Amino acid sequence: MAAPVLEVDALSKHFGGVAAVAGVSLRLEPGRIYGLIGPNGSGKTTLFNCITGLERRDAGRVLFNGRRIDGLKPFEVARLGIGRTFQIIRVFPELSALENLLVVTDGPLAAARTRALELLRFVNLEGLKDEYAGNLSYGQQKLVEFVRVLMRDPTLVLLDEPAAGVNRTLLNDLLDAVRRLRDEGKTILLVEHDMKVVMGLCETVFVLDHGEKIAEGPPGLIQADERVIEAYFGR
Amino acid sequence: MNVVVTPTMVGQVVISGILAGALYAMVALGLALIFGVMRVINIAHGPLLMLGAYTTYFLYAGLGLNPYLSVPVSMAVLFVIGAVLQRTLVFRVVDAPELSSLLLTFGISIALVNLAQLAFTSDLRAVEYLTGSWGLGPFAFSKTRVLAFVFAAGVTTLAFLLLQRTRLGRAIRATSQSREVAMVCGVNVGRIHTITFGLASALAAAGGALIAVVVAVQPEMGQVWTFKSFLVIVLGGAGNYPGALLGGVLLGLVEQIASLFLTSQLSEVVAYVLLVVVLLVRPTGLLGGRQT
Amino acid sequence: MTLAPRAFLTGLAVLAAALALYPIVGTGYGVRAMLQLFMWIALAGSWNLISGLTGYVSFGHVAFFGAGAYAGAILIAKAGWPWLPAALAGGAAACVLALVIGYPCLRLKGPYFAIAMLGLNEVLRALTSYFEGLTGGGSGLSLPTLHATVPIYYAMALAAAGVTLLTYLIITSRFGLRLMTIREDEVAAEAMGIDTARHKLYAFLLSAAGPGVVGALAARDQGYIEPISVFPLATTITMIVMALFGGKGTVWGPVLGAIVLFVSQEIVWARFPYVHQLLFGAIIAAVVLLMPRGVLGLLQTKYRLPRTL
Repeated sequence: MAAPVLEVDALSKHFGGVAAVAGVSLRLEPGRIYGLIGPNGSGKTTLFNCITGLERRDAGRVLFNGRRIDGLKPFEVARLGIGRTFQIIRVFPELSALENLLVVTDGPLAAARTRALELLRFVNLEGLKDEYAGNLSYGQQKLVEFVRVLMRDPTLVLLDEPAAGVNRTLLNDLLDAVRRLRDEGKTILLVEHDMKVVMGLCETVFVLDHGEKIAEGPPGLIQADERVIEAYFGR
Repeated sequence: MNVVVTPTMVGQVVISGILAGALYAMVALGLALIFGVMRVINIAHGPLLMLGAYTTYFLYAGLGLNPYLSVPVSMAVLFVIGAVLQRTLVFRVVDAPELSSLLLTFGISIALVNLAQLAFTSDLRAVEYLTGSWGLGPFAFSKTRVLAFVFAAGVTTLAFLLLQRTRLGRAIRATSQSREVAMVCGVNVGRIHTITFGLASALAAAGGALIAVVVAVQPEMGQVWTFKSFLVIVLGGAGNYPGALLGGVLLGLVEQIASLFLTSQLSEVVAYVLLVVVLLVRPTGLLGGRQT
Repeated sequence: MTLAPRAFLTGLAVLAAALALYPIVGTGYGVRAMLQLFMWIALAGSWNLISGLTGYVSFGHVAFFGAGAYAGAILIAKAGWPWLPAALAGGAAACVLALVIGYPCLRLKGPYFAIAMLGLNEVLRALTSYFEGLTGGGSGLSLPTLHATVPIYYAMALAAAGVTLLTYLIITSRFGLRLMTIREDEVAAEAMGIDTARHKLYAFLLSAAGPGVVGALAARDQGYIEPISVFPLATTITMIVMALFGGKGTVWGPVLGAIVLFVSQEIVWARFPYVHQLLFGAIIAAVVLLMPRGVLGLLQTKYRLPRTL
């Protein structure tokens, strides 16, 4: 077994009296695509937020390349090499598409510019580079958000519902892009409701229900798992 | 500074703090309602209180109306003014970024103060109705402050009964929980916003009417109340209505205790430091509230 | 800036030369009026640096003006400093205040920060009244007589130019873009690896320096200060109105706003001083409701012009 990129160890997060995440453990190995599924309110986004530092966990540990990252601020987590997108698009609407990418880098501006243009070309948005991101279509904004994550060249990419609201053509481009990232050795963890996407893309799937991990395994086995079926469809 | 604190002084301070606190709680409840229901911080809350104080002053000076009887009249007048402000201006920024609502209510605030200066001049007005104190054992309390406490406690109780026991109150609370859910349940959200703004202005007006008997009435008397009300809802937890009661009493106590050791000039400094410290240590308020 | 930047720069140079020569030909009134216009440009531009770029509305920016005024006046009156270093010290004092206030307050989310700044002004006024030994308390502080209107004219002009140049440099830099991401979506900015706390603090420090310097200059120019005259809410209101009207978040918006509103103030509103605040309140409401980006912001989005316009 390769050394894990990300290790989540017995992570818990409560809101008031409700356990949003209850003792979840995950182990992600490099160069693989993982799926995180579960009914609405099962704690997927909260888990993302705890990993990226947007929420403080109540208990448990998060290790990234063997280093404790729980307790770090979100920007510190991002700088270590974890990039994420959001369920609801969060581009910077009054910055141009190009500026959306430029702001997130630290190195020399010229190099950042070259890379940003390369990424925009990669998703066919080069012609719209100077348009305010807020004026782009929903799908285009989604692409901008996706390539913005890549500007820092993260080793781990967390995608929160990449397929939601995206048309078929765009979706296929997006999925190809995700596979290419994997081939470059990056690790991807995605939350997704579209089962076709999950089944076609992911090598391992984690299932959350009421904040607990109830199953883990290859998509085929997960689909047949009784607890999973129960969680989705009820008894 | 050498201050000898006797038990009598402590008792006096604690009771004075609670008396003042009820007034703070009532006024701040108005600000809390608007924030809870619309996510708008109404910078004009204090100036609305000032208009309430003027209403009481003119009823007293012109018609000789007992200032305590004018409390409901001031509340009614300001309910209308508040509802009109909401219908004409504020409703446009309820869903806009908070920058817009802050700036808009700030603009309304300075316009109201200036209008008051034009209409009423900047002269200090006084409602000289009651003077003197009531003694209770070793303590002495000015009559106006005791009455202000009684009325504030009464109005606040009524406001809570309205919120807890009536259909309208349930609709207001539902809207502040989740506007979408309220809408789905058939609540006319626009109407609730208007009523809430009117109600909040009426609560400010009651405060204005009650302090008109205590302090001089003048156009700039209100601004500090915006700040104090905000401090109260921060202490109690934004969006947490019972929290406003606790916050009000706490602010009253802190100010009174500070007055034992510091000159009155510095009591605002104490309140300010308290605000910043509480926001840093417990950003959701002492009782806990909802995140914005 | 693709559109004839040379013509633009030439125009600016001519304007600068004309303003430099103006005190030789101008009347006493004219020079004083221009001096005040420069002061407003510096103030509105400084407010824009924190509030226009990061979206954190400062309702107490006059606090830095007042802090600079008191620091400068005390150094001149009590320590015998010449006014120019005293003005720079005023800027430094305002930055120190910004650091002390900004470190805790900038962790507060938008509306909390706005109210904290509103309170700060009252607190400073109370403190300056209280520490009588240093500040003269409520009776104020008089400076030794000095006729230096023309040198102060130049100093104010430099302050206005300095703030505007600083704004240009920030807005055209990645630092400036990052400040804007805080305004656009602070959570996303954090998640993208931007240290928002540090950026806000830097912007706040930069936005305090200008008001500190012009506060000290204004104190020297007027020769007398008191708590009410250097911490008026009206000054904060005026700089906000100017920046909003011209266009927050742009380089030239605060300059345009300051010119338009200052000139109308001198020509028209001077006849109706009683409705001054009412008009300002109405302008704020109108801009927020009808033209939230201000004049230049409107042109910028309509004709797709760069922010540096």
